[in-house]
Amino acid sequence: MSCHDARESLSAFLDEALAPDERQRVAQHLEGCPECRRELARLEQTVALLHRVEPVRAPVGFVDAVTAAARPRPWYRRVAAAVFLPFSVKLPAEATAVVMVALLAVYVFERTPALQESARTQPEVREDSREKTARPAPPTVLTDRFARDSSSGERSPESKARPLEKEQDRREAPAARERIASDAETPKQEAAPAPSAPRLDAAPPVAAPPAATAPAAPAAPAPGAAPPAGKVEGALQRSQAENRQAPAPPSAESSRGAPAAPAAPRLAAKRAAPSADAVTGVAVRDRDAAERDLAELIARVGGRETGRRREQDATIVEAVVPQPRYAEFTQSLARIGAWRVEAERPDLPAQVHVILRLQ
Amino acid sequence: MREVEAGDAPRFLDRLRAGETTAFEELVITYQHRVFGVAVRMLGNAAEAQEVAQEAFLRAHRGLAEFRGDAKLSTWLYAITSRLCLNRLATAERRLHRQGEETLLRLAGGEWPDAAVERGEVEAALHRAIAELPEDRRIVVVLRDLEGLSYEEIADVLDLELGTVRSRLHRARADLKDKLERFLP
Repeated sequence: MSCHDARESLSAFLDEALAPDERQRVAQHLEGCPECRRELARLEQTVALLHRVEPVRAPVGFVDAVTAAARPRPWYRRVAAAVFLPFSVKLPAEATAVVMVALLAVYVFERTPALQESARTQPEVREDSREKTARPAPPTVLTDRFARDSSSGERSPESKARPLEKEQDRREAPAARERIASDAETPKQEAAPAPSAPRLDAAPPVAAPPAATAPAAPAAPAPGAAPPAGKVEGALQRSQAENRQAPAPPSAESSRGAPAAPAAPRLAAKRAAPSADAVTGVAVRDRDAAERDLAELIARVGGRETGRRREQDATIVEAVVPQPRYAEFTQSLARIGAWRVEAERPDLPAQVHVILRLQ
Repeated sequence: MREVEAGDAPRFLDRLRAGETTAFEELVITYQHRVFGVAVRMLGNAAEAQEVAQEAFLRAHRGLAEFRGDAKLSTWLYAITSRLCLNRLATAERRLHRQGEETLLRLAGGEWPDAAVERGEVEAALHRAIAELPEDRRIVVVLRDLEGLSYEEIADVLDLELGTVRSRLHRARADLKDKLERFLP
C-alpha cells in the first residue's frame, strides 16, 4: 500500500470504519511509515479538537414556537387566510381596482353633462367669494330686502322657502344651462333668466343660514311668503321659460318641485323682468339722490334705463349697460352706496340687462 | 442514544402518527438541540438556523403519517434538516451573503459573543475552519464529529454512498488539520 492510499484511509481507520482486510493493510503500512504515523496522529488530534466543540442548544422558547406553528389553525383563521389573499396578490389586485374605478369615474364624468357643469361652476363660486371679499361688503339686510314681497310689503320668512328652492335649483341647473345654450340665438328675454339660477344658488344670502331653517321648509307655500328675489326670479323665470318652450324632463321635475313655493315666484315675476343678466343691491342713504346719480351713471357708461319702479322701501331700476363698460359701471356704483352683486350671469352679453335695487 | 431509543419506541411512533400533540411536543423537546445544532453549524446564523430548524420539525409533523420507521427518527430529522440547510445555502442570495467577511466573523464566534469569549481562541478558530469548509464536506464533518452519526447513518441522511461519505470526511478533516495546525500539540 502506498502512502497516498494509506492516507486516504486514515480518517476511516481512526473511526474503525474500514473493512477488516483494509484495516489490516493500513496498519501494516503505518508500522513501516513514520510520516504516515505522524499524519495519523495529527488527524487524531484534529478530531479530538472537534470533539471539544460544545454542543449547541436551541434557543429558549423554541419548543413552544414549533408546537404553536404545528397546531392546526382554527377554522376562522383558515377561512380568513383563504379570503384575505397574501399581500403579493392583493397589492396588484387593489392597484388594478383603483385604476378601474378611476377610469370608470372619468368615463361617467365624460358621459354626464350635469357633472361637467357642476365641476365648471366650482371655480366660479370661489371666484365669486373672492370678489365679494374684495368689494365693500354691503349690509346683510340688503339680501333680505330682495326677499320682501313688493305688493304686500311684508318681510318674507325667506328661510322657509330657500332650502326647497336650492334643491330645486340644483335639479334644474342642467336644464337651465341647456336652455341657455338653445336660447343663445333667441331674444334675450327668453334666454336671460336661466343663468341666474346657479349663480344665486352658488352665492346664498348670508343673512340666514339655510341649515338652520331647513325644518321649516314645508311651510313655504304660505301666501305671504316670498323667498329671496334672485332665487324666486330664477325659479319663476325657469318655469315661465319652460311653459313657453317645449316641456323637457327637467321642467317636469321643476313643476313637481314648484308647489313648494308657488306664490312667491309669481309675485316676484311682477317685480322683475325675466331678462336680467345681473341683479345688484345698493344700500343708499338718500334714495332720490341715488336715483339721480344712478341715472347719470347709466348715461355716462352709455347705457339706458329701461324701467324704474318706486316701492315703499326700495326703488328698482332696470337698465341696459354695454358689456365693455359694465365693469366700470359696477365699480362706480360704490359712489352711490354699498353695493352687492346678488346674481350675475357668468358670460355677460353685449348689452347687460341689470336690475338694481336702491334702498 | 437513550433519547433516540425512547423516540423510536413503537408506541411513541404510533402516538406521533396518530397526530397526538403531546407526542409531537416530546419529539421537538428530544431533538431540538440536535436539529438546531446542525442548522446553526451549517448556516452560521442563529436566527436563520432557528427558522430552518422550525421548518424541519414542521415538515416532519406534516410527514409523520408517511414515516415508515425504516430509519431512526433522528436520521429522518437530520435528513430533513440537512436538505433544508443545503438548499438554503445553494440559493444565490445566500451565496452572495457568504462571500463577505461578515459571515466568517459570525461563525468564528460573533453569533454568540459571550460564549465565544469563554471558548477562547481555539474554539473560534474551529468555528472559522468549519465555516470555511465547502458545504458538502462541512455537513459530513458536522454530522460525524459534532453530532456523532455513523458513516452508515450519514450515508442515509445525505443519500450518499458509503465511499463518498468516507472520502468527504477525510477531505474535511485534512482541511481542518491544515487550518488548525498551530493549535495542535
